[in-house]
Amino acid sequence: MTRPWTQWVLLAVALAMAAVYLFPLYWMYVTSLKTNSEIFANPPSFWPADPQFAIYPGVWARRSMSTFLWNSTIIAAGVTAVTVILGTGCAYVLARYRNAWVDVGLFCILMLQVLPASVMITPLFVGFNQVGLLGSPRLAVILASAAKAMPFFVVLVRATFMSVPRELEEAALVDGNSRVGAFFTIVLPLARNGILVCAILTFMSAFGEYIYSKSIIQDPRFQPASVGLSGFLGPNSSDWNAIMAYSAIYVTPILAVFVLLQRRIVSGLTSGALK
Amino acid sequence: MSNVQIELTGVDKHYGQFHALKDINLSIEKGTFVALVGPSGCGKSTLLRSLAGLETITGGTMKIAGEVMNDVPPRKRDVAMVFQSYALYPHMRVAENLTYSLRLKGTPKEQALAAAEEVARTTGLSHLLGRFPRELSGGQRQRVAMGRAIIRHPKAFLFDEPLSNLDAALRVHMRKEIRALHDRLGATSVYVTHDQVEAMTMADRVVVMRDGVIEQEGAPLELYDKPASRFVAGFIGSPAMNFVPAMISEDGQAVLLDLPDAPRLPIGRALEPGRRVSAGLRPEHLTVTNAETAALRLPVGVVESTGSMTYISSGTDPEITVVIHGRSPLSAGEVMGLTIAPENVHLFDVESERVI
Repeated sequence: MTRPWTQWVLLAVALAMAAVYLFPLYWMYVTSLKTNSEIFANPPSFWPADPQFAIYPGVWARRSMSTFLWNSTIIAAGVTAVTVILGTGCAYVLARYRNAWVDVGLFCILMLQVLPASVMITPLFVGFNQVGLLGSPRLAVILASAAKAMPFFVVLVRATFMSVPRELEEAALVDGNSRVGAFFTIVLPLARNGILVCAILTFMSAFGEYIYSKSIIQDPRFQPASVGLSGFLGPNSSDWNAIMAYSAIYVTPILAVFVLLQRRIVSGLTSGALK
Repeated sequence: MSNVQIELTGVDKHYGQFHALKDINLSIEKGTFVALVGPSGCGKSTLLRSLAGLETITGGTMKIAGEVMNDVPPRKRDVAMVFQSYALYPHMRVAENLTYSLRLKGTPKEQALAAAEEVARTTGLSHLLGRFPRELSGGQRQRVAMGRAIIRHPKAFLFDEPLSNLDAALRVHMRKEIRALHDRLGATSVYVTHDQVEAMTMADRVVVMRDGVIEQEGAPLELYDKPASRFVAGFIGSPAMNFVPAMISEDGQAVLLDLPDAPRLPIGRALEPGRRVSAGLRPEHLTVTNAETAALRLPVGVVESTGSMTYISSGTDPEITVVIHGRSPLSAGEVMGLTIAPENVHLFDVESERVI
């Protein structure tokens, strides 16, 4: 009896929540197009009266955004590569073997997830400094962020591997394949979707990484876009439309990828990527 | 050259504390179809997986075609296995599933494809070679799994309850098909099932297992006629054998059942008088006769008819089930008279449960 009624209420709640979460995004795009006086107008306007599209090329050139975005891409790609290559093997082992050592390993990995980046950065900085890694700061950030991304990746990909029936692997063994061969020709192709989805999520979170980059990379030539954005925020600056334009340029590619792949991401996370 | 294809001597398997296989001795001749039956957890699947190399045995020797296989990895054993879930590779088409093992061996592409077409013809899959497993019905998947095994011409076929996911009608059909295939290929097959009817109808030899031990091994009818233990007697045959506690009569020529009026059944031989035994009477060996004169007179409990057969259970404890062909005029509450030929009375020791 109450079902249609409850459905509408839940839908309304969902829409309200979505609006709360998406409003800043909308405000970012709108503000970036406003003139300086319109930004501070009271009451605020929800649509720019006179859109200033010239702000985008202006900010792009003025803030050398091509360098920042390129650095972000390099760091995100590096983090994803390290995480996928090491994490996939790790997840497979944790999925296929069950004993006390595996439980200990899994526990340690989950503990890694608990430690926040802001706690880890000081010891990491000191350690990297001693081994001379600060000379190649982007590599240092890649290593630090990959360690941070690893637990999440391993736990999710492990679940994907567990959904691949063991019998398939056994069939491959009896059919004449080795364990390694069975992994590459049977298990890996079947877990591909799940791994892909986790890799995309890893890439996107590494693309927005801030704490490690800000602390480790001093030279602006190597800084990613997230650090570059903070350069706007001086004690006296109020260049809001430029900040918003910068953010829009930074966020839009990620958003586009997410929208394009969202069906795959959702199904990959829920179905275990089989079939 | 001996004709033994698979030879197990003193095979043991432990999982930690659990002793899964206990001193298994079994030799399987080339070209025979052997069924391993038993209740779940009896070790039959473990034995099959050990043959495939998916489990390593902890003791004894295992020979396939004369070679010791104890520590040989599965891929070097040259055996093919059909899994209960079929284990078809979901990301490969039927043709690729069939040729997977050949491609691993490095068989040229055209040759592998020709072999796949040949196998597809014999298993009726020719029109399905381009499909993915998810696009096939249960019976078709079953055939692909079979085809994948056949294409290799292995030293032995191992079947792990391959029919248990099919519906009843298809199961009966595939039973015949697998047996026909076995005969045509002259292969050596080991077939695991928990269904004694499957084992009885398909196999040349049946191995009954319980708790990691081989209870009895023999031809299907041999197991039916001369069960070595009470367990085998109860496991083989459907409906199951009736067991009644009993005592050998004073003259040693008959058995007195622990039922009201202590009915006396002649056993056709002499045994130690007064000995406690368990008497086994197959439902189909009991015949209904005149209730006035019969030795065994029991009240009728439930009468169930399937049309061709009628199942009558007595209202006694232990319950006695009788199977008769056709219809029965009996109804609940009446008294039925039963007879049984002396050679059909099986007697088992109360302690050891072995046949007497």
